[in-house]
Amino acid sequence: MLEITGITKRFGAREAVSAVSLSACAGEFVVLLGPSGCGNTTLMRMIAGLETPDEGTIRLCGEDITRRDPRERDIAMVFQNYALYPHMTIAQNIGYPLRVRKRPAAEIEAEVKKVAARLGLSGLLANLPRQLSGGERQRAALARAIIRRPKAFLMDEPLSNLDARLRVEMRAELKHLQHELKIVTIYVTHDQAEAMTLAHRIAVMRDGKIQQFDTPANVYQRPLNTFVAQFVGSPSMNLIQRDGVILGVRPEDVQLSASAQAGASPGRIYVTEEMGNETIVVVSDGSSQITARCPAGARFEFDSTVWYRFKPDKVHRFDSSGARIPD
Amino acid sequence: MKRTRAGWYEAARKAAALVPYLAAVAAVFIALAPVYWLLTISLKREVDQFAYPPQWIGFTATLEHYRDAFAGGSFAAYFENSVLLAAISTLAALAIGVPAAYGLARFEWPRQWDHRIGDWILSTRMLPPIVTIVPLFLMLRQARLLNSLTGLAIVYTGFNLPFVVWMMRGFFEEVPKEIEEAAMLDGESRAGALLRIVLPLVRPGLAATAVFCLVVAWNEFLFALILTQTEAAMTLPVGIASRVTQYEIKWGAMSAAGVVAMIPVLVFAAAAQKYLVRGLSLGAVKG
Repeated sequence: MLEITGITKRFGAREAVSAVSLSACAGEFVVLLGPSGCGNTTLMRMIAGLETPDEGTIRLCGEDITRRDPRERDIAMVFQNYALYPHMTIAQNIGYPLRVRKRPAAEIEAEVKKVAARLGLSGLLANLPRQLSGGERQRAALARAIIRRPKAFLMDEPLSNLDARLRVEMRAELKHLQHELKIVTIYVTHDQAEAMTLAHRIAVMRDGKIQQFDTPANVYQRPLNTFVAQFVGSPSMNLIQRDGVILGVRPEDVQLSASAQAGASPGRIYVTEEMGNETIVVVSDGSSQITARCPAGARFEFDSTVWYRFKPDKVHRFDSSGARIPD
Repeated sequence: MKRTRAGWYEAARKAAALVPYLAAVAAVFIALAPVYWLLTISLKREVDQFAYPPQWIGFTATLEHYRDAFAGGSFAAYFENSVLLAAISTLAALAIGVPAAYGLARFEWPRQWDHRIGDWILSTRMLPPIVTIVPLFLMLRQARLLNSLTGLAIVYTGFNLPFVVWMMRGFFEEVPKEIEEAAMLDGESRAGALLRIVLPLVRPGLAATAVFCLVVAWNEFLFALILTQTEAAMTLPVGIASRVTQYEIKWGAMSAAGVVAMIPVLVFAAAAQKYLVRGLSLGAVKG
């Protein structure tokens, strides 16, 4: 298990990570979610030992590893650009962590074959990285990470260089693999969909601080502030200023009707986007725009008048600073 | 047959397409003519060397100048000196310069030092070498290293060092940092990652840099001339020039030695050619 306490990292005068505390249980999949520059990559690099924190401690399986060299931490990392060794074959790449540990050649070969078979790389072992497609390189990088069964996995936006279809495929593969290996995994991404689907718990980060650290369901259903509310979920939550408080309503909790209804306000159709399985409708009420998620087949003309209302038990309330007002 | 206007245009276009080839052939001739002349002089009897009109081909060939130059022993000794000197100074410049370049490329420097270190290193290449001759002479004399290969090797190493640092820094910067970080997480120390992952990746750059250092050390004349005055430490370029004496100029022996002096550079460049082209173009992108 991984325990991070009060970690701070400064680059010059800027605090990239400010007093972050975080823990991950054995076998847990934790996603550090945030926009670029929010400090999640820096936090991961400190766990890896590639950056030294200015304050705080990192403990892995009870041992303080804050100041250890990367190689003494027994942590494996998958990089965004895969970072395969270009001059080595895929087999040499995958086997490298074992070779560094001076395991016998026969054992390395057997392990490489086993891991390669598991990740569908068996036919590619003699190739060089540049002869592989993006998805294959990604799997080779994963294979290199899992071959030595480290105490923790770190993944820095591992899917962001893949095309959309492959990304969804690999996402599922990754989740299953992590479930099988049961090794604590820290995963950095700015893609909320990846975070929601992969994580046991999500740490939403902004400006070097953790905004909320909770299960995907709780982060989605009870966001602690307007930043989390808007960052998680697509399309993002509607935020409406009203009487000194900010109301937050998810698009699926906005109901539209063509005729006047009790408790509904009028608005004009700004745009409709048909997604096939649903239709996203943006309504303008003069001062702001409200996004609604409607069933497929909902038809509205541009500029026609509609009536919208919020499901009453689904309205989140935030104060003017953006913090959630307890129900 | 009368040509149409289009026909003339076509012919002119074809002729114009030949121009780059003709220019290339001319350039090769101009570049190789002195080399060819050197080769013929080294093979001509003394009476034919300055015959008029010049005998470009079809002269009586002789190897007496080669015998004269090398059998006497002195040129063979110069050759050995030059080989030793070029090899040692190149290895030393790489041994010091490669880690320095790596450090400049990879580590964060205090703000007031960043860039400047590199610029200071480069600045030593900006002054004409001859202005350093007197101080170098005095320093080597103090250290009792005048007339010695050791002294010259130190000077050449220092001379090649900025070049090594700047070339190699560019190559190191092109290796993605993540590859090295991956190696460190896989269990390598930084030194291990450098040796087993990064250096193999910059091999073209190393080869190109080494060839340059070798050629510079091999051809260097000025320092060798002034810092060595005895036969024991004389290098090939100085040795060749020393055959211009007050009473006669031994064109034949000088040419023969010159021809032999070209061979190591040619061999080395041919061996490293595969890397040389890649290395040079790689370095050109950055640094």
